[in-house]
This record gives sequence, C-alpha cells and structure tokens, in this order.
Amino acid sequence: MTQFKVYKIGPEIKFGNIDLSFTNSSLFMIISAAIICLFLYFSTKERKIIPGKLQLISEMLFNFIAKMISDTAGSKAKPYFPFIFSLFVFVLICNMVGMLPYSFTVTSHIIVTLIMALFIFFAVTVIGFLKHGFKYLSIFVPSGVPVVLLPLITVIEIISYLSRPVSLSVRLFANMMAGHTMLKVFGGFVISLGLLGGWLPLSFSVALTGLEILVAFLQAYVFAILTCIYLNDALNLHH
Amino acid sequence: MKFIIFTLSAYLVDETYLLAAEAGMPQLDPKYWFSQGFWLIITFVMLYILVAKLFIPKIKNNIDDRERKIKDDLEKAKSYKENSEIKNKEYEQVIEKSKKEISKMIYDTRKKLEKDIQNKKQVIEKQINDEIKKTENEIKILKQNSLSSIEKISEELTSKIVHEITGEQLNQSSVKAMVSEVTKKNFNKIIS
Repeated sequence: MTQFKVYKIGPEIKFGNIDLSFTNSSLFMIISAAIICLFLYFSTKERKIIPGKLQLISEMLFNFIAKMISDTAGSKAKPYFPFIFSLFVFVLICNMVGMLPYSFTVTSHIIVTLIMALFIFFAVTVIGFLKHGFKYLSIFVPSGVPVVLLPLITVIEIISYLSRPVSLSVRLFANMMAGHTMLKVFGGFVISLGLLGGWLPLSFSVALTGLEILVAFLQAYVFAILTCIYLNDALNLHH
Repeated sequence: MKFIIFTLSAYLVDETYLLAAEAGMPQLDPKYWFSQGFWLIITFVMLYILVAKLFIPKIKNNIDDRERKIKDDLEKAKSYKENSEIKNKEYEQVIEKSKKEISKMIYDTRKKLEKDIQNKKQVIEKQINDEIKKTENEIKILKQNSLSSIEKISEELTSKIVHEITGEQLNQSSVKAMVSEVTKKNFNKIIS
C-alpha cells in the first residue's frame, strides 16, 4: 500500500495548527494540471482551419464534453461547461498519470474525491435553490406516486440525494484504489513466482493495465456525467 | 462541524497514527487531509481559471471560425453554382440562337443557290436553243445551197455523160427539168 502513501516534500508549511505541507499528492496534482495546460496550450497555439493532430484532439475533447453536457443537462448548463470540462480533464489526467509506474494517483485518495464531490453537491444544491427557490424541494417528491407511498418515497429520495457526494467520491476513489492494488498484487506475484511461474501473473498484469486505463477513462467520464445529471436535476425540475 | 473535524484530525495526528499507513490504507490517515484539500483547491481553481478564461474560448473560437468558414464557403459555392447555371443557360441560349441563325443561313443560301442555278440554267438553255436554231438555219441554208449546186453539177454531169455516150448536144432546159425532178425525189428520201 506504499503507493498510496502521502509524504511531505520540501519544508513544512503550517497554517496555525493545520499542516498544509507540499506533498507528493500536491506534486502530482500540479503535474496533472501542468500536463493539461501544456497540452491545451500547444493544441491551441496554432489555429488552423484544417486542424493538426493536437488541435484535433483538443477539439474532439471539447466536442465530446459539449455533447455530453447538452445531452444530459440541456442548453441551460452551458455556463457550467468550463467547470465540467476542467473537472473531466483533471480527473482523467490524474487517473492516467496514476497509471505510470512510481507515480502517485491523486484520485485514489478519498479526501480528494470527497472534496470534489462535496463541492459539486453543494454547488448543485445552491444552483437549484437559486433557480427555483423552495420549489426545488419538489425534487424529493416524485410525481405520479400514490399518496400512501409518498412519505416513504420522499425519505428515500432525500437519502439518495444526500448520499450523492458519498457515492460519487467513493466510486472514483474505490475504483482507482482497487485497480492499483490489484496491479500491485499481480506485480507482487510476478516477483514471488520468479522466472518460472511469473509469466502468468505478468500477462494478467499487462491485461489489467489495459483494463485500468479503460477504467481511468471510464471513471472520469462517469464522474463528469454524474455531475451533469445532478446539474440537470438542479436546472430542470422534472418532477 | 469544521471544528470537530479539525480537533479530531489534530488529535489523530498528534496521537499515534490510528489509521496510519502501516495499519492499512494511507487514504484514511488524516495527517495530510488538509494539505491535500488545500492543494487540490489551489490546483483546481488555477486550472479552472486557465481553462475557462484562456483555453476554452480559444478552442471555441477556432471551432466557430471553422464552422463559419465552411458555411461561407458553402454559400459561396452555392452562389457560384447558381452563377454558372445562369451562364450555362445563357450559353445554351446563344448556341440555340446561333443554331437557328445557321440553319436560316443554310436555308437562305440554298434557296439563293437554287435560284442562281435556275437562272443560269435558263440562260444556258436559251443560249443552247439559240445556237441550235442558228445552226439549224445554217444547215437549212447550206442544204438549199447544196441542193442548187448539186442540181447544177448534175445538169452538167448529165449533159456531159449524154454527150460522151451519144455525141448529141442536149437541150439545156430539158436536162434541167429532168434533173430537178429526180433530185427532188431522191433528195427527200436521203434527207429524211
């Protein structure tokens, strides 16, 4: 589990009693953000009518996220496009950087995903109340439900609403951690079985690496699309 | 709430690492939670600002530019096409017109030529007729002339032959009458 260990880099930064030291987690956050910025910088440097490879990738990314938002949250969600874009790209690149050996997976820490999920949760709730006032509470009362079942359904809805940040953060964190742990376990098998028996776990490890890259993309996508869906609930009251 | 978390985490950090890395998951070690949150917020906010203010407008502008360009080009192509269709129509009209003119010209020329030929034919026929007539006249004259000279020769020949055979001098007028009678008979036979 040492791959998930957070340790301090450089001097200790203390703010009052709180330790805000620069850690390897912070380093990899900044590396991911820097990769994103560099990629976006180089891909938007040359603005050609017929795009180059980098430009094409950035435009495909743009269109991909734009389509995702317009499909799930409609046109009202357009002002939140930069946020969803940064969120998706940040989670994706953090996951991908985590796939490199000896690197650190920022998103495999519950605190990181929880902060993001809580922010989304509170932001969505605030947006919902700002847009609809107290009518936003009708999200807990689905239409077309028999009166007898209403109290039960409302309670369930409230619980599911409140568990959104937990499910959102735990999904990403658990997926990343489980994947990396599994890779580690199979890697350990390769070492312990040695030259004779290590080939089987090695092949598993290779396959798992491919799977993990898929999972890294998929979880970033799921994170972003769930954010879109929550945003959709806040922007368009369906119930 | 915040205070409780803070005191809890401070307590956990200060005391033994209850959920420390060695115990299992380093994720549950709250020692660097604040640090991680702090750096996450800083990094993400900076990324968000850069993406929202710099990169997304650039990409969007570029995509919009391209769409505009494609639209413009399509419109241009459409207008060119329309223009070319108009030009094509004009061209076809010109061709049609000139075709008509040409066929008219051909018709006119043919008519004129036919008329000319007709005229020339008439003139030539007239000339031929004249020639024929003239020749016929000449022949007639020649015939008459030859007839009279033949009669003369015949008279002389007749009188000479008679003189040679019989030794008599014939009367000039009677010989003439006889010869003319014979010639008239035979001449008509020969000529016709």
